[in-house]
Amino acid sequence: MTSKRFLFGKTKFSTTENEKIIRELKKETNKPVIGYLCCFAPPEIIAAAGAIPYRITGLPGKDTSPADAYVEPYGCTYVRNILARAAEGQFDFLDGLVISHSCDMVQRLYGIWTYYHPLNFSYLFNVPHQLTPWAKNFFKRELGFFQEKIEQFTGQKTDPGCLNETINIYNQNRALVRQIYNLRKEESPLVEGSEVFDILMAAGVLPAEQYKDYLESALDKLKQRSPGPEKVPRIMVWGSIMDSPALFEIIEETGGKVVCDDTCIGFRTWDKDVPKSGNIYDDLTEHYFVNFQCPRTDRGPGVERFDYILDRAREYRVDGVVGYIISFCDPHKFDYPDLRDYLKKEGIPMVLIDDNYSFEPIESIKTRLEAFVEMF
Amino acid sequence: MNQSEMSRAKRYLETTKKMKEMLPRFFMRMMERKFSNEPVAWCMVGVPPELLKAFDLLFEWPENFGTMCASRQVAPLFIQEAENEGYSPELCSYVTNTMGYCKLHRERGEAPEESPLPGGMGTPAMLLGSGFVCEPRWKWFQSVATRYFGAPVYSTDPLAPPWDIDPHDPRIAEHYLTLLREDLAGQIEFLEKQTGKKLDIDNLREIMKRSHEALAYWRDTLALRKAIPSPMGSTDYFHAIIPQMYLVGDEDAVIFYREMYEEVKDRVERGVGVTEDEKYRLIWFGLPPWFNMGVFNYLESLGAVVVYESTYNVGDFFEVDLTDPLEAIVQRTWQRALKMHEYGAETMPELCNPAVFGGFSGSNLLSELVEQYNLNGALMHLTHSCRAVSFGEVHTRNRLAKMNVPSLIFESDMADPRFWSDAQIKTRLHAFLETIDEAKQGGRINDF
Repeated sequence: MTSKRFLFGKTKFSTTENEKIIRELKKETNKPVIGYLCCFAPPEIIAAAGAIPYRITGLPGKDTSPADAYVEPYGCTYVRNILARAAEGQFDFLDGLVISHSCDMVQRLYGIWTYYHPLNFSYLFNVPHQLTPWAKNFFKRELGFFQEKIEQFTGQKTDPGCLNETINIYNQNRALVRQIYNLRKEESPLVEGSEVFDILMAAGVLPAEQYKDYLESALDKLKQRSPGPEKVPRIMVWGSIMDSPALFEIIEETGGKVVCDDTCIGFRTWDKDVPKSGNIYDDLTEHYFVNFQCPRTDRGPGVERFDYILDRAREYRVDGVVGYIISFCDPHKFDYPDLRDYLKKEGIPMVLIDDNYSFEPIESIKTRLEAFVEMF
Repeated sequence: MNQSEMSRAKRYLETTKKMKEMLPRFFMRMMERKFSNEPVAWCMVGVPPELLKAFDLLFEWPENFGTMCASRQVAPLFIQEAENEGYSPELCSYVTNTMGYCKLHRERGEAPEESPLPGGMGTPAMLLGSGFVCEPRWKWFQSVATRYFGAPVYSTDPLAPPWDIDPHDPRIAEHYLTLLREDLAGQIEFLEKQTGKKLDIDNLREIMKRSHEALAYWRDTLALRKAIPSPMGSTDYFHAIIPQMYLVGDEDAVIFYREMYEEVKDRVERGVGVTEDEKYRLIWFGLPPWFNMGVFNYLESLGAVVVYESTYNVGDFFEVDLTDPLEAIVQRTWQRALKMHEYGAETMPELCNPAVFGGFSGSNLLSELVEQYNLNGALMHLTHSCRAVSFGEVHTRNRLAKMNVPSLIFESDMADPRFWSDAQIKTRLHAFLETIDEAKQGGRINDF
């Protein structure tokens, strides 16, 4: 089994590594690989239809100029990064592509990518923005259309029992990840933020059963660690998609510990289980639409929409929040002033790192974070 | 502030010049109502204005307020105030203009005196948003309500099928139409609650009839610009959208657009063009630089006339049955989505937002426009703070190149003049017109 190659701590999961693994998996299993971007289309449906879901990630700092032939320079550098790689044929291992209508740029990435570089299968998973009953109904219907399309592609009808079982395994993984997060609630966290990030990156490539083995093994090893004696500055990271440990490592170098986060490969994906009400599609709607905390979804006005962040900050006894926003990421840029002021009122300072998805110049980021961490 | 000599624009039509008398009368009436403490709704393009009229609501368009602040050169003040609050310069400058206005309003306890309208936009009693066009629109009113005015918000969610989904599949059509219908019902329920009034369907139907009559004149006026020389340019075009926003459903608007149609038709018959020597016929993509609308006159002085604009273009999506006016509102949105597929869905990746504007025009539509309007070049305004509308310009340029139509993508912004570089833009415009000359003589254009 591919995952057996990986012993916790010896090999880091990363975009480059994950792409090597997925090529091997594809060869081993002879199953189609469906790449997905953003968190609204359930990978459980992809897996239950007989394909391998693969989370598409970027390469921070990569030259995005190959995207210039298709899109303008002003735009999310993350999307440009992915498109540049698609233009260079770096995703040739994908049999299909599923992109959610999360934000404007990701939605439009779908059109440009599939127009210039069509794949055997592609689907734009359309997502409403408000949480009204009719928006939820739309999402639920969209789940049905998505499942139907993917079944047509794989030629495999989804067995409800199999989908249910797949959701169960994913939920078990969610519970295991939460246990790993809990290890950082201690006065001296048992695991570094960058290590947790590594564990989460594995979720993008390993099939759920293998990931479960991997998580259990990682958890066992981590529990055997002895807590360090020192009290450390406890940092929460909030913001745009992060698929590199760079920021966590910089914070760690400054003497801070990332004890929790609110990012989309991070805790947003893991903080809740898919509920089990008896109707799979209601449950997936609740989990992937209602509960998934991407600021692109309208949760109405008022700072109450940030309460879950405040609750988490208190639960993990956070000293300060590091905001990380990728250039042109409108949903996060809109929320920043309100979130910053709300946290400040509650005694939690926040610093913002505005980055073009390169973590450069690293000295400047480090200097700002050093000054921030020194406060605690 | 970068004040160009292009900041003042010359218009050619007598009808649009008349707006100088018509609009102040309208704004005075609005002001009187505001001062009588009537509630004001702030709205976004995409909210059916006929519905607002049917509820006899006082309404303001912060987007349009942004264009006015830009053209009166006060937007930089408001934008700077918003940036001081932590709003990024990358955010839509219409939004940051609004945020700066709100901040000053809160600090001073009244509308900032720098506002271009007496009493500014007032204070909103409700916020009617729309996800139509772009995503910042979801966040915009959420932020206004959170930070400045605790007004209730309702935003509509007009999703449309992506380009590779067949909207004629009955199941797909029902999937989307159900959302549109239920969303509209939610919007009406909100309006009835906030205004304490019941929607009068018959009144709405009458308003829509007048609204569509005005739109038909507007559409037919735009078609007259196929004539050589073109009877109307962009300064009149962009100015003439204002009655459509404020006076929609009024008899005044019908008269305005009818007179405009008759005037432009007369110019065509008499062979009166915008320029005496029309050398270049251009299509414009993107939002205009509202603070420097004279850029169009500058082009005209070089013999270049913009004869078609992708932005605010009315299309003919309003040709729907008005028996049930609520269904007609739904069908207008849906027809837009269907038309977009017809116009070349393979090149309309933004179709989840059924916007008429943006860098995108389907391939079929593009080739029709090139032929019917005798286009020989495309100007694409890449707006730094509005990615939604400028996204797709490179893609459209690629397709125009295949039709041997050269394009110029130049960077600036719709409301923030800090992104305007006078000398650089003029140099690029000159060089572009030379490229068109070469293309006319059979020169090759960059192809992709």
